[in-house]
Amino acid sequence: MTTVAEVKKHAKKKYKDMNELSTAANTAWHVILIIGCLCCILPLWIVISASLTKNQALVINGYGFWPSEFSVDAYTFMFTGGASMGTAYKNTIIATVSGVILCTISVGLYAYPLSRSDFRYTQIFTFISFFTMLFNAGTVASYMVNTQILKLKDTMWALFLPMSFSAYWVIVMRTFYKSNVPESVIESARIDGAGEWRTFLQIVAPLAIPGFATVALFAAVGIWNNFMMCLLLNNDRTYWNLQYTLYSILKSIQFLREMASAGSGSGASVATTAVADLPSESFRMAMAVASMGPIILAYPFFQKFFMKGLTIGAVKG
Amino acid sequence: MTTTLSNETKRAIKKRKKWGSGEVKRHIAFFTMLIPGLVFMFCFNYMPMPAIVMAFQDYKLMMPPADSFVQNPFIYTLLNNDFVGFGNFSFLFTSRDTQIFLRNTICYNLAFMFIGLFFSVGLAIGVNELRQRFLAKLYHTILFLPYFLSWLIVTYLLYALICSNGVFNKIATALGRPTMNLYNQTSAWPLIFVIANIWRYTGNNSIIYLATITGFDQQLYEAAAIDGAGKFRQFQHITFPLLIPTIVLLQILAVGRIMNGDFDMFYCLPNGAGAIREATLTIDVYVYNALKSGAQLGYPAAAGLFQSVVGLIMVVTTNAIVRKVQPDMAMF
Repeated sequence: MTTVAEVKKHAKKKYKDMNELSTAANTAWHVILIIGCLCCILPLWIVISASLTKNQALVINGYGFWPSEFSVDAYTFMFTGGASMGTAYKNTIIATVSGVILCTISVGLYAYPLSRSDFRYTQIFTFISFFTMLFNAGTVASYMVNTQILKLKDTMWALFLPMSFSAYWVIVMRTFYKSNVPESVIESARIDGAGEWRTFLQIVAPLAIPGFATVALFAAVGIWNNFMMCLLLNNDRTYWNLQYTLYSILKSIQFLREMASAGSGSGASVATTAVADLPSESFRMAMAVASMGPIILAYPFFQKFFMKGLTIGAVKG
Repeated sequence: MTTTLSNETKRAIKKRKKWGSGEVKRHIAFFTMLIPGLVFMFCFNYMPMPAIVMAFQDYKLMMPPADSFVQNPFIYTLLNNDFVGFGNFSFLFTSRDTQIFLRNTICYNLAFMFIGLFFSVGLAIGVNELRQRFLAKLYHTILFLPYFLSWLIVTYLLYALICSNGVFNKIATALGRPTMNLYNQTSAWPLIFVIANIWRYTGNNSIIYLATITGFDQQLYEAAAIDGAGKFRQFQHITFPLLIPTIVLLQILAVGRIMNGDFDMFYCLPNGAGAIREATLTIDVYVYNALKSGAQLGYPAAAGLFQSVVGLIMVVTTNAIVRKVQPDMAMF
């Protein structure tokens, strides 16, 4: 004997089969998406394989899907040749870490009162932050203020301070508080006599950790990949970040020469021999691999947060 | 978000208008929380705004005399420079460069908007419909990856593909075709920019569409399937109409950025090739070049102000139109 529920279940199952993609359409989608994925992965693979190719072979045979002559010269050169790569890495890491800390604190704190229904000035402060998304003073005005008033030129600050706060993240964070921190919890903390700061630090912040993580990751990728600030503000090589170093390498072989002479220490003759067999092409590619390495390695772990963060930001309100 | 309040709640809200016990203290705490964010916005967003007057000046940095009240050369110059009214703008709009960068910026952005929309909605639907859920997620994860690679990395990838001994030329040689150097072929670059843009952003843009589509009421699809609608009809009559608010919202945002070029992309991808300037000169690249050339700063400032004002007008207008037609689709 079959109950009504069972019949319904059966019907639902049958419907599901009916409304699934047909095998042909399903295969077609697979083919399209696999082609798309190949388009994303193959260029990366070509660069990685080029970085593992002997430079001469790369110059003669060109780029391919497989190293024509395997060699790790480019990487040994990169790690031994001069301090530039080390400096770039160090600067980028310092900037990213400081930027992420500043961003999480400032955005997390700014968004919290805006998420509270008993804050009286929500509208005006939301507008203050939203307006920065609608209108900006332009590159020249910002450049002049950054260099002439804030004195950021040729400093470490230039690499992260201007990117440490964004109204978009405020919206993400505010939505996160609203949907993940129930007002009743805050209410009960108040009844227990906790002040607002204490409520925030001990109750709200632990609940909002996934939100903080999302904002922190947004900021981290933004600062790690930032190129324009370094291009505009930092001429001093001491404060170049990875992206700018990549740019200058692509532009000039001069840079390699200097690195070679710095890396091989004293003796002009040593430097010239080093320049003669510089793994320039494959070295460039090795630099590219080195600078995207951390992002690609961390990507499988953080992409979930990103997808979540983007969906949260899309909720309007 | 509009919510209808009952009279009772309205009365309750009115009652709360008076500052209750502890409310002042609470607001002091709230204000201290706002401070770091306000400082950031003041320094990097609001402080540059008065400097907009540069666009109306014959700007030359001057050293303040020792007895001047203002000792910062920038502020002193800003206060003491000669105003030329809209002179900078009229110079800007008669120059040949301006025509090129306006055309490029607007056309590229329109192409990115519409072609990008097609790809990202398509990807969202494909990922949503695939029967193998695990594979669908895997594909999406892979397609989302380019978003995290900076334009500099993309420049290297592109270089490996199209340089004189890059992969494309190798394939061309294998097929017996002549090799070509795309770095001095202007006509190829619009296509390269569009492909690069789609390549980098499709995975990212599709996320919002995918999230919206998965949120749709499945009963609608069940009913349609029972009535004999195929997948395409379902898309036509259910998915697409329901997706329109999201599309409109995202397009409003895109229209607001119509004057903003992706500076890193237009500046880096051509790899410093000067021959293709026609195709790569966008407003941001122009502003940067003018800024770095050390010429009169009034021109790039005017171009930047024009960019921001047009952006603001576009968002507000589009939003106003949308609000009139479909109030609940408007962004603000």
